[in-house]
Amino acid sequence: MDQNQRAPLRQRLVSWLILLLGGLYFFVPLIATIDFSLRARKGVLSVLAYQRVLSDPRFASAFTFSLEMALLTVVVGVILVVPTAYWIRLRLPQLRPVVEFVTLMPFVVPAIVLVFGLIRVFSRPPLLLTNSFTGTQILLVAGYVVLVLPYLYRAVDTGLQAIDIRTLTEAAQSLGAGWWVIITQIIFPNLRSAILSGAFLTITIVMGELTMASFLVGLKAFGPYMSQVGQNRAYEGAALAVISFALTWAFTMLFQFVGRRALGGDQAFGAR
Amino acid sequence: MAYLSIRNLSKRFGQTLAVRDFNLEVERGEFVSFLGPSGCGKTTTLRMIAGFEIPTSGNIILDGADITFLPPNRRHIGMVFQSYALFPNLTVADNIAFGLKVAKRPPEEIRKTVGEMLDLIRLSGFENRYPYQLSGGQQQRVALARALAIHPRVLLLDEPLSALDAKIRVELRAEIRRIQQTLGITAIYVTHDQEEALSLSDRVVVMYEGKIEQVGTPFEVYNYPQTRFVASFIGQLNLIPVIVEDPQHGLVRFGNFLFQVDPAPHLNRGQAVTLALRPEEMNLGRVEGRNHVEGRVLDVMFLGAIVRVRVDLQGREVLADLFNERQLALPRPGDQVIINFPPHACWIISEG
Ligand SMILES: Nc1ncnc2c1ncn2[C@@H]1O[C@H](COP(=O)(O)OP(=O)(O)OP(=O)(O)O)[C@@H](O)[C@H]1O
Ligand SMILES: [Mg+2]
Repeated sequence: MDQNQRAPLRQRLVSWLILLLGGLYFFVPLIATIDFSLRARKGVLSVLAYQRVLSDPRFASAFTFSLEMALLTVVVGVILVVPTAYWIRLRLPQLRPVVEFVTLMPFVVPAIVLVFGLIRVFSRPPLLLTNSFTGTQILLVAGYVVLVLPYLYRAVDTGLQAIDIRTLTEAAQSLGAGWWVIITQIIFPNLRSAILSGAFLTITIVMGELTMASFLVGLKAFGPYMSQVGQNRAYEGAALAVISFALTWAFTMLFQFVGRRALGGDQAFGAR
Repeated sequence: MAYLSIRNLSKRFGQTLAVRDFNLEVERGEFVSFLGPSGCGKTTTLRMIAGFEIPTSGNIILDGADITFLPPNRRHIGMVFQSYALFPNLTVADNIAFGLKVAKRPPEEIRKTVGEMLDLIRLSGFENRYPYQLSGGQQQRVALARALAIHPRVLLLDEPLSALDAKIRVELRAEIRRIQQTLGITAIYVTHDQEEALSLSDRVVVMYEGKIEQVGTPFEVYNYPQTRFVASFIGQLNLIPVIVEDPQHGLVRFGNFLFQVDPAPHLNRGQAVTLALRPEEMNLGRVEGRNHVEGRVLDVMFLGAIVRVRVDLQGREVLADLFNERQLALPRPGDQVIINFPPHACWIISEG
C-alpha cells in the first residue's frame, strides 16, 4: 500500500522539479535583467534608466516603425500563405514537400545573405527600390515575409490539417459558393487560431530582428536601436529589453483579443 | 426523357476503372439508391453527378441540359456527406442560410426559409448553437436542412447515416424518407447497407466492380435477382447443388430427393446446376404440395421476430428462417428435421 503511493509521489516531485528548473531557466535572466535595469543610480533601486529610455523620442519612433513593419508582414504573409497552403492541400498534395522545403530556406540561407541579395537586385534599374524610404520599407517587409515563412506556413498548414478542408470546400461548392467565398468565409475563419499563433510569432521575430533592419533602414527600426543602446549604455539597454518584452506581450494579448473578433466570421454572418 | 439521365458514364483513376459504362434514368421526385460493396464506385458516380469529379467519358443530363462539365457550384445539386461537413465557424442557422446568402437572397426570405427548414428537421430552438454543440444525428439533420434550403434540383447523399449508431440510424432513415416525400425532391442515396437501400428507395441500383448489376424496385432486386452477384449480395441465399432430371417438367435431384421447380427447357437432362432460394422460403415439417428434404440441425439462433435455423443437408449448409410464435417448438442442435419449400421459390443458376 505504502509503496504504491510512494511511486506517484516521487513522480510528481520529479515533474515539479523539472517545471521549477524550466521556470528558473526562463525567469532568472529576466529577473536579473530587471534587477540590473533598476540600478542606474549607485546604491539604490530607481527607475532612472526607464525614464531615460522613455524620454528618448527615438525609442517611440523605432518601436512604432517596427510594429508597423511587423503588422504589414503579418498581412502580406497571411494573404500569401493561407491561399497557397490551402490550394496545396486541396489540389497539389504532391507539391507539399517542395513547398515545405522552400519555406525552410531562411534556416539554410542566413539573413545577411538574403539582405545582400535583396540590395544587389533592387539597387539598380529596372527594379530600383533602395533609393527611396518607401522602397526600402517594401524590401524590408518582403525580406521579413521570407524570414517568417517557416513559422507562418507551418502554423497555417497545421491549422488546415485540423479541419476537413476537402469536404468543407465541396460542401460550400455544392451550395453555390465560389473560391472567394470559400476562402474568405470558410477557410480564414476556421484557421483563426492558427493564423493568430503564426502572427504572434511573426511579430515577436520582426520586433527583435537586427540584420535586415540594420542594412535596410538602420536605427529607424527597433532591433538596431535596441542593440545600439545596449552597446553604449548598459542600464538603459537592460531597461529597454524589459520594456520591449512587456510591450510585446501586451501587444500580443491585444492582438489576440482584437483578432479573435475580427476573424471570428461573426461579423460577416451577424445573425446573433 | 427522364429528369436526370446518366449515359455511358465511365471514370478511370490511373489503372483503376472505378465506374464503367454506367447508364441510368431517374424520374423527378424519385428516390434511387446506389447499393454495393466497398470500392464498387458508388461514391465516384455520385461525385460525378455533383461535379466533384470529371467523367473520363459519358454524359450527365439534368432537366434537359448537359451538365457533365458544369462546375459544382453552378449545378444547383445538394449534397449530404458522411462526415456532416457543417461549417464549424457558423451557427446552425448560418449553416442553413449559407447557400441562400451566397445566392444573395433577400434577408426576409432567408429568415423564413431557415425557419421552415428548422421545423422540417425538428430542430427549432437550436438555431444559435454551433455544430460542436450538437449530437451526430442532429448535425446530420442540420446538414440535410442546409442542402435542402437552396431547393436543389437533386439531393445527393453519400452514406449519410454510417457514422451514427444503430438506433439513430433507423430513426433518421425514416426522417429522410419523410422529408424527401414531403418536398417531392429527387434523391440519390449511396449506401452499402442493403436494409437501408431496400427500405428507403423507389428503385435500387446494385453495383459491383464499377458496373451496374441490376436496377429495380426493392421487391424486384430482392425477389428476382438477375445476376449471381445480386442474388448473393442482397439478403441471405441458400445454394443447393442439384442434377437436372426433367427440364420440361422442372424436376431436379438432390441425393435421394426429387424437387419440383419451375420448368427450365433450356437445360439438359443430367446437367449439374445450382438451386438458389431464400431462408424465409424454407420451413420445418411436411406440407402437401411442397418439396421436402431431410437434414440435421446444426444450431438455432433466436433473432426476435425470426428464428434462424442452420441445417446440414448431406454436407451442404442451409439456413431456414422461421417466424417466431409463442407456440413454436424450437428445434435443438442434432435434431433430424424435414425441411419444406414451395416449388416456385427457387431459381436455377446454371453456370459453375
Ligand atoms: N481520387 C481517387 N484516386 C484514385 N482512385 C480512386 C479515387 N477515388 C476512388 N478511387 C478508386 O475507385 C474505386 C471506387 O471508389 P469509390 O469511392 O467510388 O467506392 P465506393 O463504392 O464509394 O466504396 P465505399 O463503400 O468504400 O465508399 C476504388 O477502387 C477506389 O480505390
Ligand atoms: Mg463511398
